[in-house]
Amino acid sequence: MKTRIPITLVAAALVFFAGYAALFIAPDEKTMHEIQRVFYFHVGLWTAMYTAFGIAFVANVAWLVTRKPRWDWLGVSAIEVGVVCCTGGLITGMLWGKPAWGIWWTWDARLTTCFILWLLYISYLILRGLLEEPGRRATLSAVFGIFAFLDAPLVYASNRLWRTQHPAPVLFGGPDSGLDPMILKVMLIGMTAMVAMAMIVLADRYRLERMRHEVDELRVALETRGEGSAVTSAARN
Amino acid sequence: MRNFHFLFAAWMTVWAVFFVYELSVASRISRLRDEIERLKQQLREG
Amino acid sequence: MSTARAAAILLAKEVRLEFRTRELLNATIVFAMIVVVLFSFSFDPTAAESRRLGPGLLWIAFLFAASLMLHPSFGREQTNQTLDALRMAPISPFALLLGKMLANFLFLSAAEVVLVPVFAVLYNVSLAGVVGRLALVFALGTLGLCVTGTVFSAIASHARMRELLLPLLLLPIQAPLLIAAVETTAGLLAPQPGLDRAWLAFLAGFDIVFLTASWLLGDYLLEE
Repeated sequence: MKTRIPITLVAAALVFFAGYAALFIAPDEKTMHEIQRVFYFHVGLWTAMYTAFGIAFVANVAWLVTRKPRWDWLGVSAIEVGVVCCTGGLITGMLWGKPAWGIWWTWDARLTTCFILWLLYISYLILRGLLEEPGRRATLSAVFGIFAFLDAPLVYASNRLWRTQHPAPVLFGGPDSGLDPMILKVMLIGMTAMVAMAMIVLADRYRLERMRHEVDELRVALETRGEGSAVTSAARN
Repeated sequence: MRNFHFLFAAWMTVWAVFFVYELSVASRISRLRDEIERLKQQLREG
Repeated sequence: MSTARAAAILLAKEVRLEFRTRELLNATIVFAMIVVVLFSFSFDPTAAESRRLGPGLLWIAFLFAASLMLHPSFGREQTNQTLDALRMAPISPFALLLGKMLANFLFLSAAEVVLVPVFAVLYNVSLAGVVGRLALVFALGTLGLCVTGTVFSAIASHARMRELLLPLLLLPIQAPLLIAAVETTAGLLAPQPGLDRAWLAFLAGFDIVFLTASWLLGDYLLEE
């Protein structure tokens, strides 16, 4: 607990610095000028999302293999954080798209697959709410989570496999792609800041899940203790 | 600065997304903490 | 008992069970037909438009029909608690899933065999010369619907509100399949029919990926 405050401060500083860098250090972009600076957060949010869903995938597999409750807690927490990052990414994308393309939305491969991914993981969260027995809930949602993750590579590859309204890849993209070195540096700062924020929020969400488990255990202890004393008093009488 | 409003809205979105979510998690945690205390108290009294 | 043989026996059981009453098959065909007809009321298609919109509408009709038809797949087992008996049998869980997937595939295909000609008539689309390739596209697409549908039916059968939950879970995961199926079907029903190999490969890839995932995760789906 004592390390939380310094860590949070570091993350906050990182985000402030990323913001400053995005607005003042990064060079001006030729065609879109100022609005392009959303890029540094937009890409950061997606990086955070993929990280979160990746962690969730590992947690889902780990639960199925080990059946230790902490993997279930990590799974649901990571997916919830991933959905939050995805929502942020979609909104920042729209706020960039309107000035840059003139449209809020289009159904190209990247945006469509991404929207589907968002809906898919929201379905995960709804599913969890509707499964009551804890063991079965953990197992079935882990299986669903693994299936959902199969969609993620498709989203990443969508602007490589198809020509899209969304910009083509700039990293590992091909002969015409590539980034100005300063833009790349600021982008990496932005990615680090977003991932750091996501991890902090994830840690809290994990703590929440652990406490929920503790509440359930306490309730069970109270009930069994109550039954025990009822039996003893009945035997005494 | 061209399109400043959109840039500002995007920046605010990033903040809002993490801040609102963190707030919701934190409030749930504090509610649960009270619940845990209450249950532990009940267990001790029994 | 080998997985293939167990699956075959279970498939025979599902088919025999269904053909006693044929209620599921009839309901599926009628429902899909209603959706197709309703679309024609909403869109008032001219010949050119129906060619453009037709494949999408057809596949959406099957998607809806499938997500309703797949629910009883495990739902029926629950009402009679026969799933426990099946679990105790000396067969792999994947065999159980495979048997159901194949049964659903058969039922959905039977519905499609009835519906595609009806669609062709209602929307003035010619099927001449493309029937074989169309059958391939429909087979791959339907397989994908049934693989994902059976798996998610197993998941949803333990949840509350399962009738609503199943389409909710299924539709996002089936969306890429839907897109690929519509693109290939549209290519075949176009004035110059052609089979888009890239989308066809995507369809096949989808089926392989999800079939493999079901095989790997089958045990967990059906545990106590």
